[in-house]
Amino acid sequence: MTLARSLRSALPGVSAREWDQSNNDVLGLGGTPEVLIRPVSTEEVSQILTWAGEEGVGVLPLGSGRHVGPVGGGKFVALETSLLSGVDEYEPADLTITSGTGTTFSTVDATLREHGQWAPFDSPGVNERSMGGFVSEASHGPLWAGYGSLRNHVLGATLVTGDGRVLRLGGKVVKNVAGYDLLRPVVGARGRLGILTSVCLRAFPLPAHERVLVLKGAKLTSLIEPALLAGTAPVLPVSIVVVGQLSALDGSSALVLRLHGAESTVDADQSAIEKHLGIPLDRLAEQEADGCLTEIRDRGGLEPRCVEVSVLPSRLSQVVAAADEVGAAKAVIDSYAGRLRMGSSDMSADAVSTFRGAVESLGGALRVTRWDGVTRPKDTSCRGAELQIAQRLESIFDPAGVLWPARQ
Amino acid sequence: MTTAKLAGAMEAQRERLLPCVHCGFCLPACPTYNRLGDENDSPRGRLHLMQAVVEGRLDPESDAFQVHIDRCLGCRACEPVCPSGVEYGTLLELARETASTARAPDGLTRGLLTVMASRMLREILFLGGRTLRVTGLASVMVDVLGRIRFAGRLRFALAMLSATRPSVRLGQGVMADGMESQDTEIKDAHAPRVGVGSVGILRGCVQEGLYGRVNDATARTLDVNGYEVRTVTRQDCCGALHAHGGALTAARNLATRNIKAFERAGVDWVVVSAAGCGATMKEYGVLFEGDPMEERARAFSAKVRDVSELLAETGPRSGASVDCTLAYDHPCHLMHAQGISSEPLKVLEAVPGADVRVIAKADECCGGAGIYGMTHPDLGSRIGGDKIAAVRDAGADLVCTPNPGCMMQIGAGFCMEGDAQEAVHPVEVLDESYQRAGYYR
Amino acid sequence: MTQTLTSRVADRLRAIVGEDQVITNPDRLVAYESDGLTAYRVVPRAVVLPETTDQVSEVLRVMHGEGIEVVPRGAGTGLSGGALPTPDSVIVGTARMNRILSIDEQNRLAKVQPGVVNARLTEATAPYGLYYAPDPASQSTCTLGGNVAENSGGPHCLKYGVTSRYVTGLTVVMADGEVVRLGGAGLEAVHGLDLVGLFVGSEGCFGIATEIEVRLLPKVESIRTLLGIFDTMEAAGHAVTDIIGSGLMPAAVEIVDNATIVAVEASVFSAGYPVDAGAALVVEFDGTEAGLDDDADRAEQCCLSAGATKVIRATSDEERIALWKGRKKAFGAMGRIAPDLLVQDATVPRTRLPEVLARITEIGREYDLKIANVFHAGDGNLHPNILFDRQNQEELERVERASREIMTLCVSVGGTITGEHGVGVDKRAYMSLVYNEVEMDMLRSVRRVFDPDGRLNPGKVVQ
Repeated sequence: MTLARSLRSALPGVSAREWDQSNNDVLGLGGTPEVLIRPVSTEEVSQILTWAGEEGVGVLPLGSGRHVGPVGGGKFVALETSLLSGVDEYEPADLTITSGTGTTFSTVDATLREHGQWAPFDSPGVNERSMGGFVSEASHGPLWAGYGSLRNHVLGATLVTGDGRVLRLGGKVVKNVAGYDLLRPVVGARGRLGILTSVCLRAFPLPAHERVLVLKGAKLTSLIEPALLAGTAPVLPVSIVVVGQLSALDGSSALVLRLHGAESTVDADQSAIEKHLGIPLDRLAEQEADGCLTEIRDRGGLEPRCVEVSVLPSRLSQVVAAADEVGAAKAVIDSYAGRLRMGSSDMSADAVSTFRGAVESLGGALRVTRWDGVTRPKDTSCRGAELQIAQRLESIFDPAGVLWPARQ
Repeated sequence: MTTAKLAGAMEAQRERLLPCVHCGFCLPACPTYNRLGDENDSPRGRLHLMQAVVEGRLDPESDAFQVHIDRCLGCRACEPVCPSGVEYGTLLELARETASTARAPDGLTRGLLTVMASRMLREILFLGGRTLRVTGLASVMVDVLGRIRFAGRLRFALAMLSATRPSVRLGQGVMADGMESQDTEIKDAHAPRVGVGSVGILRGCVQEGLYGRVNDATARTLDVNGYEVRTVTRQDCCGALHAHGGALTAARNLATRNIKAFERAGVDWVVVSAAGCGATMKEYGVLFEGDPMEERARAFSAKVRDVSELLAETGPRSGASVDCTLAYDHPCHLMHAQGISSEPLKVLEAVPGADVRVIAKADECCGGAGIYGMTHPDLGSRIGGDKIAAVRDAGADLVCTPNPGCMMQIGAGFCMEGDAQEAVHPVEVLDESYQRAGYYR
Repeated sequence: MTQTLTSRVADRLRAIVGEDQVITNPDRLVAYESDGLTAYRVVPRAVVLPETTDQVSEVLRVMHGEGIEVVPRGAGTGLSGGALPTPDSVIVGTARMNRILSIDEQNRLAKVQPGVVNARLTEATAPYGLYYAPDPASQSTCTLGGNVAENSGGPHCLKYGVTSRYVTGLTVVMADGEVVRLGGAGLEAVHGLDLVGLFVGSEGCFGIATEIEVRLLPKVESIRTLLGIFDTMEAAGHAVTDIIGSGLMPAAVEIVDNATIVAVEASVFSAGYPVDAGAALVVEFDGTEAGLDDDADRAEQCCLSAGATKVIRATSDEERIALWKGRKKAFGAMGRIAPDLLVQDATVPRTRLPEVLARITEIGREYDLKIANVFHAGDGNLHPNILFDRQNQEELERVERASREIMTLCVSVGGTITGEHGVGVDKRAYMSLVYNEVEMDMLRSVRRVFDPDGRLNPGKVVQ
C-alpha cells in the first residue's frame, strides 16, 4: 500500500494530495515527499503525527515553503500549515494577538497596524513567512536592540509533539511562570520538538515617530568602531546596523541607526547620540529610509546561500576581517547584538568552514541559514553535556523521530 | 529559672515578634549574615530562633540560641529596612536577658558590666587605663604583643585604649593627656545668648573615663551656640551596655538614677555625645514598659537629644579654619537606632577648611559593638578590617564617628596596623575650630 | 520526621566546604524550615553553604551517591515555598556565593555568582552607566540565583521584560554533580534549543546555577513618576486602559487598593497616600529627558479624565522614592495589621482586571476575609493579599477555599495561576487548573531530562 493510500484509509477526512515534483527545485529539497497533507485543525495535525509514527515515516512541516532547506533520505510526507490560518483572537487593549501558524506574518502585522500596533520584527523576508516558520526559526533582525528577541514575545503556542500529543504552552499573558517554560525551547527549535498550530504574540504600540540616521563610509570596517560607540550611548537606538554597499545609498557602506518615539524625544535622542559619537549624522527622508530599511532587512537572507554569525560585539571587527572570502563587503552587521549576516549565490562550502573556524576561535558561532547545494557546511554545534540535554529533550518530544526527517 | 518560665518571658513579646513576615529584607543589611551566610546569623534567623523559644520548640539554653543571639552586633541596621517595623533592638535585649538567665555569660562580659555599674570601680579602671595611655605604655605593648601569638585579645584591648588618646592631627596632643576634667566650667564672653534652652550633659561611663574631652567639647560648643549648659550631679552610666547584654535589671537601676538626676536639674534637654547612650536613653520608656517608672521614663526619653541634633538645630555657628581631611562614618546607634545621619555632617560643615569625604558603606557597622572585638575576635576583626579598608580608600586623615565604641574600634584598627590616622568625635573638630576662632577664653 | 545526617556524610561535606559551612545541629536547622512563605515548615537534615562551582559539584556528587534530596536556597525570600526543605533533604544555600565575577562594560554583560543580591549588581554596574533591569519588589535582598530559578519579574517588566530576557548564559551543576555550561553571550547562533530559557524559571528542579551571565542596559537618563489618587478601583482601572491604549509605553503601572493604603499608612513606612482613597495608581516613564514631560502630561490627562481626584508628580529622586513607597513596602506593612498574610499571585489579561477585581472583592465578602490588592496593572499581574490568623483553623480553611476560587477565576478569564512567584509547593494544587494530564506528564518528563532521579527540589512545581 502506498503511503497516500494508507493515510486516506487511516484518516479519510484529511486533505492529502500528490506532491508536485516541481516544488522540489523551488524549495531546494534533497528528497521528495510522498504526499502533501494539509490539515485544518490541531486535532488533524495530532492524528497525522500519530499515524506517521505508526507508519515510521517522517513529517516535514511546510509554512511559506521558502525557508525549508535540504532534507535527507528516508520516506517522508509534507505537512503544509496553510489551512491553519487566520487571526483567532486579537484584543488590542491587551496587546496580544493569537493566530494559526499558517497565517503570514504580514497578515498579523497588518491586523495590528489597523489598531495602531505592530510586531517589531525585521528578519529577512519576514512578511511572507508563515507564523509557524517565523516562530520555529526565531531568527531576529536588528530591531532586537530596541524590542528584544522573539522568544520574549511569543506568549503562548499550541504544539503537537512528534507522537501527536497536543500541548498548550504559555498562555496569553505577559507574565506567566506556571510550570517550566517549555515554550522557550520550542521557539527557535526549527520544528524539532513538534509542529506549532497556533501562536500568541505580544503586540507593541506603533511608535509615534521613526527617524533613520546614517553615517556613510567608504569601507564597512571603518564603521564598526562608531557603531560600537553608538551602542554605549546613553540612549539606545532601536537598531544599530552597519551594512556594506547599500544600493539604496548609491552603493556606499553605512552605519544606520533607527530611533523610535515622540518627535521631541527623537530629536533629543539624535543630539545625544551625535554628541556621544562626536559626528553629525544624516537624517534620511521617509521614502529613502523605507528603501534602506527593506534592503537591510532582507540583504543576504534570501540568497541561495546565507550564513549568520553571532559573537561578542567587541570582536566584530576581527570577525569581519576573517570574512573576506564569504562576502564581508556586503555584510549586514547588527553591532549591538553582535550578529552578522552574509548571503550570496556563490560562497563556497570550504570558505564557510574556514570562516566558521575563525568565528569559533573568537568565541562566536556560525549557522548556515540557507544552502542550495548538497555539500552544506556544518553549523557550530553546542557542546558536550549541553548537546546531550538537547537530544534527550528532543527524544521526549519526538520519541519516534518523526519530525525533522533526516535533516542536518 | 526553668525553660518554661523563660519561654514565658519571651511569650510576653509575642506582639513584637508577630509583625515579622519572614520577607528577608533585613538580610543584606546584617553585617554578620553578609559575612557568614548562615540564616541563624541574620536578623530574620534570630527572630525565628526567638519565636521558636516562645513556641517552646527551642531551649534557650541551647547552643543555637546562645551562640547566634550573642553573635549579633546589635547594630540595628535591620530596623530601618524592615517593612513591618519589627523592633529588633528591643527584642534582642529581651532575648539576651533570656539567654543570659538560661546560661551565664562569659566572665569578661560579666566583669565589665559589674564595673560599669559602679561609679567607684569604673573610676579605678579608667584611671588605670589613662595611666597606660598617657605613659605610652599601651601603644608600646600593642607593638610588642603583635609579635606574640595568642595575645590577640589583650593586644586589641590595649589598642582600643591607646586609640582614645587625644588627636595629634587636631592639635589636641598639646593638651596634657590624662587631665580629663569633670563638669568643666565654660567661660565664653563671645557666645551669642539666644536662649534656645537649657541642657544637661549625660557624661556616661566610658565616655567620661576615656573621652572626657569630648564631653567638655560638647559643653563648650553648645554654649557657643546659645544653650545654657547646667551641671547635673548624681548621674550615672546610662545602662546601654547592660541592656544590650540582657542585664535589664541593672540597666533599669542605672536608668532610674539618671531619670531622677536630670529631673532634679530641670533641664530642657538631656544631651549626650555618645550614640550608644543616646539610643538607650531614648528608649528608657520601653525599658520600663509596665513598670511604675514608665511614665517618668517616657518623659525623660522625650528630652534626650544627640549633641549633633541640638547643634544642627541652631546652625551651628562657624568657627575658624581647621585644615584636615575627614571621613564621616555613621555609628549604628545614631543612624539606625535614632535615625540621625545628616546632623553630624551639618556640624562638620561649620568647620571651614575641613574636607569631608564619604566612606563606602559608611552605614555598615564597624564591628565595635561594645567589646565585640574581644568576645568574637575572628568575626570582629573581619568586620573591623573591612571598615579600616574602606576608610583608607576614602583617603582621610581623620575619621569622625560620634560614639566612643566606634572611635575605639576604628582607632584600634589604625593603631594595630601602625597607621597614622585617628578617630575623633565631630564636636572635637568643631571645638578645635572654635578654639582657633577665639570663642573661648 | 527529619532524620539527621550520618556523621560520615556530614564529614564528607565538611571536607568539601569547610567545618563552619555545614550545619547539622537540629536547633540551628530550624531557621531554615521556611522561606518567605511561612505557611509551610519542614526542617532539613543539614544545610551546606558552598562558595564555588567546584564545591557545589562535589556536594551534589556526594548527595547523588548517597541518594539524598537537595533543596537549593538563595535568600529565602520566595513566596511559593520554592525553597521549602523536605524531611530527607539537605539545603544547598548560595549565601556565600556572593561575588560579582566580571563586568564587561563594552559588551554590557556581567557574570555573577548566584548569591549576589539583585540590587547590588545594579549598584556595582552604576559607575559604568549600566544597570540590571529586572527589579522584583524584593530586589534589595533577593539573589540573582533565586531570580533565575523563579524567572522573576517586577514593576518595570511591563517595558523591560522578565529575568529570562536578560540571562545569556549559565553554568549549572546538575543533580549528579556534573558541571554544564548552557548558552553564553556571543553563542546565540548556535544551532540548538534554548536551554537557558528553559532553565530560567525551573524553580531549582533542573540544577543549581553557579555562574550567571546577564545582559545590562544603559542607565536611563530620566524618570517621571506620577501618583494618581482615585475614589474607586474601577476609575483607576479605566485610567490604565486609557494610558496603554493611547500608545504610551510606561516603564511601570502599579495599583494599590484601599485596604493596602490603610495598611501602609498605619506602618512605619507611611507614604502619605490618603487613607480614604479607593485606589492609588503609580505610573512611571523613563527614557530621554526631552520626551518625558509630554508622556507624563498625557498620562496625567488619562488619570484626570478617568476621574482621578488628585495627581502628584515627583520632581526629585526623594519624591519619587516617596511615591513608590506605598507600593514597594506594601507586603511588609501588612504584617502589621494581621498575624498572617497570604500573598497571592496570578495574572489575567489586562482588560479583564476590573471584573476580576470586583469578583475578588465579592469572594472576600463571601468568605468573610480581608483581601488587600496590590498589582502590576500594566501586565495584569495581581497580588491579592489575604489577611488571616493561622491559629484560627476555621479561618485558615476559608483562606484556602477563597484562594482556589480566585485562581479558578483568573484562569477562567484567560489568565494563569502565577505571574512571578512561581509554583513551588503552594501552587502545585492549582496546576491542574491550567494543565491537563498530558501536559503535566510532559512537565514531569522534561524535569527527568535534567534530573532523572527527581532528587533536586522534590515536590516542587509537579509531583
